[in-house]
Amino acid sequence: MPSVTPYLPSVDTYQAAQLDALGDATRRAIVERLLAGPLSVGELASHFPVSRPAISQHLRVLKDANLVLDRPEGTRRVYELNSEGFASLRDYFDQFWNQALAAYKNAVEDRSNEEER
Amino acid sequence: MTTTVDPVTAVPVRKGITVKAPVERAFKVFTEGFDSWWPRSHHIGKSPLAEEVLELRVGGRCYGRCIDGSECDWGSILVLEPPHRLVLAWQITTQWQFEPDLAKSSEVEVRFTPQDDGSTRVELEHRHLDRHGLGADAVRAAIDSPNGWGGILALYAVQAEGSAAPAQ
Repeated sequence: MPSVTPYLPSVDTYQAAQLDALGDATRRAIVERLLAGPLSVGELASHFPVSRPAISQHLRVLKDANLVLDRPEGTRRVYELNSEGFASLRDYFDQFWNQALAAYKNAVEDRSNEEER
Repeated sequence: MTTTVDPVTAVPVRKGITVKAPVERAFKVFTEGFDSWWPRSHHIGKSPLAEEVLELRVGGRCYGRCIDGSECDWGSILVLEPPHRLVLAWQITTQWQFEPDLAKSSEVEVRFTPQDDGSTRVELEHRHLDRHGLGADAVRAAIDSPNGWGGILALYAVQAEGSAAPAQ
């Protein structure tokens, strides 16, 4: 994994719940699996050394944190990532550019009286 | 994951800031001085960042040079109109890898407008974010960087104290 520090949106209780939900290694692994596309509980369980009820419990926590959605598909129920629940790419850049432009402004103004490079 | 365009992600991020410097200097610090202010933590290389480099010509690369000597491309220059306008392709995938395909890259346009008082208005637009896919990098960020929060808050603190010295 490359070294990237994300500039995530400000902390609030909603996101704190999400961080808690992602504080568990199995739940993070579930989310990583769902990055590739929707899966049923059974499909998810086949990837993990834990019981299907345990997977269901993890999915419930993720669902309560708005990180996953579930919907019926034929006779089964599939889970997918809730794109609205995660900080969107837009939020990410919104925060990132605030930080970057503040640093840019300092760079411009701090050197105003210096010789040009 | 759904394949429909996230309507939120389709909206550009727009930022504006006024800097107390003439337009020539504002443009020069943004471009030639890019390395002096770019947040050090925003870097996709496998080793720490030594220097950010913008090749200042249309088609020029934007890359980070790591301390181990490797280079990590993250963008390219689409438009270069000193001292008023710059457009970069933002070529980073949701997996934090270089994206060679411009059709899957977003764009950052920066406009520099002189003001009557000698300052410069800098307007930034980061658009076509939906080309990267659905917020998956925010997912990655949340998953892969559990320590990210401390760093963010520290950066905010530095800014709040007015000593956001670029780069170290």
